[in-house]
Amino acid sequence: MVDGFIANSLAEALEIRATQDVVPYAGGTDLMVVNRPGLTYLFIGKVPELKRVFVDEQYVHIGAAVTFTEAIHNPDVPTLMKEAISRIAAPAIRNAGTFGGNLGNGSAKADSVLIEFATDAKLRLVSAKGERIIDVDKFYLGRKKLDLAKDELIAEILLPSKGIENYAYTKVGGRNALAISRVSFAGVFASEEGKITNIAAAFGAVADTVLRYKDIEEMLLGKTIAEARELRQDYLQAYSERMVLTRGRVSAEYRKGVCMNLLGDFLTKFGI
Amino acid sequence: MEKISQSVIKKDHDPKISGRSIYVCDYPSEGVLCGKILHAKVAKAKVLGVKVPELPEGYFYVDARDIPGDNNVNIVLDDMPIYCRETVEYIGEAIAMICGPDEKVVDKLLATCQVEYEELEPVIDLRKATEAFFNYDFAHGDLEKAFAEADKIYDEEFTTGYQEQAYLETQSMMAEPEESGRMFVHGSMQCAYYVKGAVMRALGCGPSGVHIYQDVTGGGFGGKEAFPSILACQVAVAARKCGKTVRCVFDRREDMEYTSKRHPSICRYKVAVKDGLVTAMDIDVIYNAGAYSTLSAVVLQRGLIAGPGIYKVPNLHVHGRALKTNTSPCGAYRGFGAPQTYFAVEMVMDHIARDLGIDSLEFKQANFAKQGDVTSTSGRYHFPIPIPDMIEEIDQLCHYRQKRLEYSKPQTGRYRRGIGMSMYFHGAGFTGSGERDIIKAVAKLRKYADGTVEVLASNGEIGQGVRTTFPKIVAHELNLPLEKVYYNHPDTARVPDSGPTVASRSLMIVGELLRRAAIKLRTQWIDGEEQEVEEHFREPTFMIPFYIDKFQGDAYPTYAWAVNVLELEVDTYTGITKVLGAYGNFDVGTPIDYNIVMGQMEGGFLQGIGYASIENMDYDAKGRIRNNSFSDYLIPTTKDVPNLQCILHVDKYPEGPYGAKGAGEVPLVGGPPAYLDAMEQALGGVNLYHAPFSIEDTMKVIMKEGI
Repeated sequence: MVDGFIANSLAEALEIRATQDVVPYAGGTDLMVVNRPGLTYLFIGKVPELKRVFVDEQYVHIGAAVTFTEAIHNPDVPTLMKEAISRIAAPAIRNAGTFGGNLGNGSAKADSVLIEFATDAKLRLVSAKGERIIDVDKFYLGRKKLDLAKDELIAEILLPSKGIENYAYTKVGGRNALAISRVSFAGVFASEEGKITNIAAAFGAVADTVLRYKDIEEMLLGKTIAEARELRQDYLQAYSERMVLTRGRVSAEYRKGVCMNLLGDFLTKFGI
Repeated sequence: MEKISQSVIKKDHDPKISGRSIYVCDYPSEGVLCGKILHAKVAKAKVLGVKVPELPEGYFYVDARDIPGDNNVNIVLDDMPIYCRETVEYIGEAIAMICGPDEKVVDKLLATCQVEYEELEPVIDLRKATEAFFNYDFAHGDLEKAFAEADKIYDEEFTTGYQEQAYLETQSMMAEPEESGRMFVHGSMQCAYYVKGAVMRALGCGPSGVHIYQDVTGGGFGGKEAFPSILACQVAVAARKCGKTVRCVFDRREDMEYTSKRHPSICRYKVAVKDGLVTAMDIDVIYNAGAYSTLSAVVLQRGLIAGPGIYKVPNLHVHGRALKTNTSPCGAYRGFGAPQTYFAVEMVMDHIARDLGIDSLEFKQANFAKQGDVTSTSGRYHFPIPIPDMIEEIDQLCHYRQKRLEYSKPQTGRYRRGIGMSMYFHGAGFTGSGERDIIKAVAKLRKYADGTVEVLASNGEIGQGVRTTFPKIVAHELNLPLEKVYYNHPDTARVPDSGPTVASRSLMIVGELLRRAAIKLRTQWIDGEEQEVEEHFREPTFMIPFYIDKFQGDAYPTYAWAVNVLELEVDTYTGITKVLGAYGNFDVGTPIDYNIVMGQMEGGFLQGIGYASIENMDYDAKGRIRNNSFSDYLIPTTKDVPNLQCILHVDKYPEGPYGAKGAGEVPLVGGPPAYLDAMEQALGGVNLYHAPFSIEDTMKVIMKEGI
């Protein structure tokens, strides 16, 4: 049987995290795949502070222990996020799986994490000593490597509350349900007074972490649609050169081809 | 609907749906030793020795030296050892078993066993394999003349991959030495008497030295036809040595990597066409048998007999071989060798039609065999061939012709559509005179004093419903409520050998024996008395005797027929292919239970679609299967084919109970050719040659063709 702790409040959870060697979990859907003997677990799935969703001036706050099903039914969660998480696994997994777990598992295939990369989301990490806010791309140090101290917990995901209404999203899985992403793409577009203010493109499941190239995005920032259209070929070329993809359940060539198709489609969708 | 077809609640519904059914792994562990197999890690090697760690008290190491009888598993050729001989021939071959009370300790002991190998050169690539376990050749007509006179000759090669049965319950078996000295083996299986024959040989005992019981079985699909015989011998030998009950339950990885799957194939078709008609086919078939021959002989036979499909081919030559490679032995899987050749023949017919500029359905229709025509084995189609009617029915259901025409027009944009059709038969029952000469089925009914009737037969419930349909037939003839007639899982100590649960035969053959037995019992019925009646198989009198050495005669008494249609939409940006509709029309004769038959049709059809598309499994250059889990070997879910519609066309078979024919396998067979036909259309009329056809394959064509 599993040895572990159940925390009823965030303070309690952080106290245990600070003093014990524990693996925190909420839904447990990733842990169930392999039961590693000898580990001690900390159940945080019922911690009220981690179960909240609310909106403030800047952000939509999604608690780390909010399940995907809860988020799908919450009017405050942005449509782009809903679209991605509604493609996760199947209802039983979505009923249990959480945002914190999707991040904490450290996989570049995590469907909610792709959206966090594409929207420049931040994470609030907490410990008994205090808290820090970190950009999601800084949180991922490499394959299965996270910037998360032994005494810290992921408390919240902070998604921008505005500017992510216009997007493109595609998941390529091995089948229509219960399928891990083989390639996933999310693009977010925004413009003000005819000029592009955001053209984020994130690629999931094609490398050790979600990929995003902000320097290439800069090529089109501040440009009008007409100007961007002129730059389309250069922009795509830059991506094509930069993206060195790994092979997984599908080949690197397939991944590359699909990524470029979806990127091109994203531009076309917004007139570029 | 006839009364017999009206659906009832399955007899095993409640225990299964409520979780009360006891599977092998559910028996309590007290007094039971956990047995785990030491599998070979290389594809071919001499085993020089095994360094076994010191075994704690109560733990045992079991290998070939412990076999009291013969180290050959009784299947067809009996070349498969129970535990390896001097060499191992594939990755996963059983070298030994470690048994003991604590699973974790067994695991640890297993991990510390050191096998010393002298590696030998394995044969991995099927195209380089030369050793044929089986080599068959048959012909009729004048091939040379037909090719010489042909307007056009087509020469194409088709390949298909593995398919894993992916039953819910992995291979699981227990052996319990009884006080009398008799060995009791029970577990997950399709064929209790096959297991019995194998265990008798392994233990070197007579029929009274062993009895076999089929536990509740979590699916088989053919995968539990032969492999349970192997595992049963392994646990029986272990139980004999340990003097205790031994249970071996495979984990999913072991099951996927090391147990039998559908044979990968290479089929070459040379076809002569004159005046729009096929005049000759020269067919060369290779099946990858794996390291031991197991069931490959019979799988290959069925594949070859289906070689020319449902077409009239006046001049025919079929050559087929099952070749040895140093990989897991392949075996039975629903369809049993036929899906591979049907894929090839349906595709080549599509390609010829495309080349001739004729619609493929029209071309096929012009070449259909008809009642009275000669079969591939110079037998006769004794009964009407319902395919033309079935095509009209399915056209009405899904507007095939209209869509086919619409999608043949040039398409633009991200999404492209195609619709494809396949048509085929599946021979019902054992190939050739197997029922008469080998199986010789016997079935019994036992009536108790209280008026209840028990069916005594050896056919295992594996989800196909025999625990319900057998009693239904008997209750119908005896005019009893269904509750009064029951059929338990078979125990060879109490049931006669009514044959294995294979070849879509149970209902058609054994069901008919039971119907006759019930009539007999009805005429002899005496209230309050215990009575027993017995029936034996009789070959239908119309059969042209079959000679397997010549492949001549009636290979099957009758056929189940099918027409499949698949409608697809391809996303040209990703290769993702959406199944817009899957439509199946199946003639399995009279359904003995409508819901059970529809469950079979829908489930089998979905497996066929998986085989065509996402079910991809292969081994690497070392002969190792790497996608050995359900996250790497995907099978379709209901979300992949939400619009799946099946209809039944009923052409009764006079020798089957109430006109029933074989139903188990036919729904799987036609998925790949219908899928690929639709894919070819969606991709603008390219010719495709292999299944499964993955999203990557689709993207390759899209990139190459600039779609």
